[in-house]
Amino acid sequence: MEKIIYAILSGKINHGKLTTLLSGIKGIEGADLVAVSFDQISAVVSNIEKADLVANQINAFAFAHVIEILEEDYPLLPMRFGSIMKSAGSIQEMLEKNYPEFRNNLQKVENKSEFGLKIVCDTEKLKTELKSKSDAVNEPSQKSVAESRDSVFREYVNQKLKAHRLEEMLMGYIDSIIAEFTGFLIELDAVKKIKKMTTATTIIDAVFLLEKDKKAELILAIEAMQSKHTGLNFILTGPWPPYSFVDITLKQ
Amino acid sequence: MNNHNVIDQSKDITILELLDRVLNKGVILTGDLVISVADIDLVYVGVKLMLSSVETMEQLKKVKSISEE
Repeated sequence: MEKIIYAILSGKINHGKLTTLLSGIKGIEGADLVAVSFDQISAVVSNIEKADLVANQINAFAFAHVIEILEEDYPLLPMRFGSIMKSAGSIQEMLEKNYPEFRNNLQKVENKSEFGLKIVCDTEKLKTELKSKSDAVNEPSQKSVAESRDSVFREYVNQKLKAHRLEEMLMGYIDSIIAEFTGFLIELDAVKKIKKMTTATTIIDAVFLLEKDKKAELILAIEAMQSKHTGLNFILTGPWPPYSFVDITLKQ
Repeated sequence: MNNHNVIDQSKDITILELLDRVLNKGVILTGDLVISVADIDLVYVGVKLMLSSVETMEQLKKVKSISEE
């Protein structure tokens, strides 16, 4: 029977305390949890039949539940769902081989939580609003309209240019929103990862890593932004274990 | 929008965010990720996901804390 790994824990681990904690939690399919340790890090694992592991909601929730409970007491690196090794011995070897990287990443996430922020809106409506503002500032000259009527080609080019300018305006607007929350993220000493236009409606998809006790300040700052930008919807989730701030691909 | 809708939306958002993290992020073990997808509801994405906001999430928290008291 193989072992599925839930997370890598750090610190001068009190093994008695960890064993007691693990005895109160069940893993996927109700399996018992055990710790496999090397020096000052431990992998929390349970037995699993490799062929039977299915990515359904029940198993994903069971997996996340274990990580969530452990995170209350230990700095940890969550493993990706489905990380299976053949034995406790091979896990111990893996911990030893990757020890410096684990220690380095564990230090980065200690006493910190992850938050997700998605900013969504009706982008077509937003573009129309941006265009209206722009048109009010830059009225098209009569000449350019007349010219565009003279030539189908010119009209086509003008339309393309307008669409391009509109995209530029949209990206400029998104950058201004990012700059706005980057300001208070610096004050909160948060690490951030930001993606723009991940779907037709999600204009910003960001994750932050910040100290656990700064949660209330983050919520206040996002609420203030939501009040200011009524056309946007701010979806803040968290605190999460630091799933998005783990940059390790393990050598086995 | 009534409280049930807010709760449903919030649940959808939380489930999707959680699944995104559990399945796509975390420490990667090369060459030995084992996942077979069985349940179709795992990848269900509701349109209503796009309708929530921090404000509604905060309202939900208040509703939840009142119901827990």
